[in-house]
Order: sequence, then C-alpha cells, then structure tokens
Amino acid sequence: MKAPQDAFLSEEDLDFRNMTDEELLAHWDAWLLQAQATNDQDQDTYTHGVFVTLSERRPAKGGAAVGGGARPLDERGEQRHRGVQRGR
Amino acid sequence: MLSTAMSIYLDLTREFNAGALRAILSSGQAVVLHGLAVMSKDGDWILRETEAALDHVLGVLERRGARYRFGAPLDVRWMRGGWSSHFEFREGPLRIRTDFVTRPPRLPPDDLAALWREQSSRTIPVVDPRRLAELKKTNREKDYPIIGELARMLEDPRQQILLSRSARDLASQAQAHPELIRELIHERPLLASVRKSLDVLEAALDAERRDLIHANERRLRRYVEAAEAWTSRWPSVQSEMGAMPLRQAHAVVAAKAAGVLPFEPPEVSP
Repeated sequence: MKAPQDAFLSEEDLDFRNMTDEELLAHWDAWLLQAQATNDQDQDTYTHGVFVTLSERRPAKGGAAVGGGARPLDERGEQRHRGVQRGR
Repeated sequence: MLSTAMSIYLDLTREFNAGALRAILSSGQAVVLHGLAVMSKDGDWILRETEAALDHVLGVLERRGARYRFGAPLDVRWMRGGWSSHFEFREGPLRIRTDFVTRPPRLPPDDLAALWREQSSRTIPVVDPRRLAELKKTNREKDYPIIGELARMLEDPRQQILLSRSARDLASQAQAHPELIRELIHERPLLASVRKSLDVLEAALDAERRDLIHANERRLRRYVEAAEAWTSRWPSVQSEMGAMPLRQAHAVVAAKAAGVLPFEPPEVSP
C-alpha cells in the first residue's frame, strides 16, 4: 500500500505539470476570463505589495472619497476567485 | 476572445524586458509558470531599481491605457524603501492589474542580485521556486500550501528541508540526511522536532506558519501606518490626475507624494 502523503493542492491543480504549454496558456486565459466575474467584489482590494490590508479609496460620483481603511487580514479577494477556476 | 487574452502576463513581461532585462514575473503568475495552481488574476513583477527601467515600464503601461491605483509612485526613491506601485487597465474583456516592487520581502540583497543574474538569459524571466517560496511567506493562509508544493519541486535537499511544509516529508529527509538536519537547525528551529512524533512536528509547522504570518503582518503595518497621510491625500491626487496619460499622471503622483509619503517607512513599536 502506498504511504500517505501530505496533500497541499488538488490533483487537478497539480495536473498543470502534465499540460503542454498551449494547454496551460489556454487554461490560464480561460481562468482569467472567468475570474472577471468577481471584479466588482474585489475592485478595492490588493493582492500584492504592501497595501494588501487596505481597501483602495475611490472617488464617488460627486468627487468625495468612499471606502478606504484597513480590511481584516486573510480576507483577500484572491481567495474568492478559487470558486471560478477550473472551468474546463 | 481567448486569443485576445492569450498570455497577457507573458506579453507584458516581454514588453517590460524589450531590449534589456527589467522585470521578473513573480507571485501568483510565477506559480502558474511553475505548473501549479492558478490562484490570482493580478500580475506582480520585481523590477530593476533604476530610473530608466521604471520609466520603460511606465511607457509600456501608458500605451496600454493604464491608470495609477493607490500606492507609492513608481519612482526609485520610494521603491528602494520597499514600497509597491499599482496600476490597472482594460484589455478586451479583462481587467488587468499590475503590481511592482524592486525590493521584494524576505530576499536578501545578495540573493536578489543573484536572481537577476540567473534570469538574464530567460525569454520570460520568472522567480524560481525557492525564492518564490520565500515571497509566499505572507499573512495569507492560502500561500502556505503553495510553499509546500514549491518545496517539493526543489532538487537540493538542503532547500527542501528549509522550506518544506510537510511533516512526513521532513521526517523522510531526516532519515536520509541527518547531518543536514543538525546543520540547519539554527536556520529553522522546528527541525529540532523532526525526530519526535508526526503530531509534534505538525504542531511545530503550524506554530511556525503563524509566526511567519504575524511577522508579515508587522511588516505591512509599518507601511500602512507610514502611508496614513498619503491615504488621506489620495482622492485629491486622483482627481487631479483625471484621465491624464500615465507618465503625466506619474509626475503628479510623485510631486504630491514628496513630503507626504516617506521614502522609507519608519520602524513601529511592537
């Protein structure tokens, strides 16, 4: 019997390594396209850099700032995107 | 539609590096190139810390119709303080976000210099798995499974031992390379638990992950606190930029940030 191994990612995620470059690019693009569905939800978030705990301030229609301020840690928009990946 | 979107992050990386190496693809999109999960729709690059390199990148983004998001100016004075700059544009059906640093966290200067040397001949420069694992030691839980898989990609057992997130993998390494475990304990204290039960080692891994998360939270807090005045100023800066071409907007951002956003964030008390 095969010894158990700690699993970090799904078999589907790890299957990327078996894709050709063309398959990987096609899947990557398809994922990015589907991930646009969450643009409204993550419009003020950051996924990289030193501002990932902030919401971007956006001017309201009248010019005043709305939003802004610190967001709770570990609630990045990226996490929500996992729900729309793997749409093959 | 897909052909329009095809490999936008690869296209951008090529454009950033046209004629000279200026940008190394990092973070989530680098993870994809290493054959692991797609987890982020934004792009992140490490840039050369020179005025010419940053100006070239601004030019590429200007041609794409990018605008500044809140962040530091893409200017050497702030970049060398570890700040990040953020932009956004539309590409057909896609909202593309591009994030930049020149001093990525947890990469010492000599290691960063070596990364630039190693990537100099690559068509698509990309952060390698070992350094990517260091960059992924963030405050986000979801980055730690990625580190676990990146560690399994490493050929050097020393690096595997330093980065593995698996108790079983570490126990195997301890059997195969006991001398390395002894040697590396001072770099990674949890290795002292590697000969104990898997439960103990797993608890040590959990504790180490929490320590790394909190360390990154402290690092980010320095920047957020140092940016407080700039955060308040941003709506008026944004209004002034309006629909300016990016380089013109950049001049406004840099002028307005001077004296408001410190080049280097001061240390904060614990």
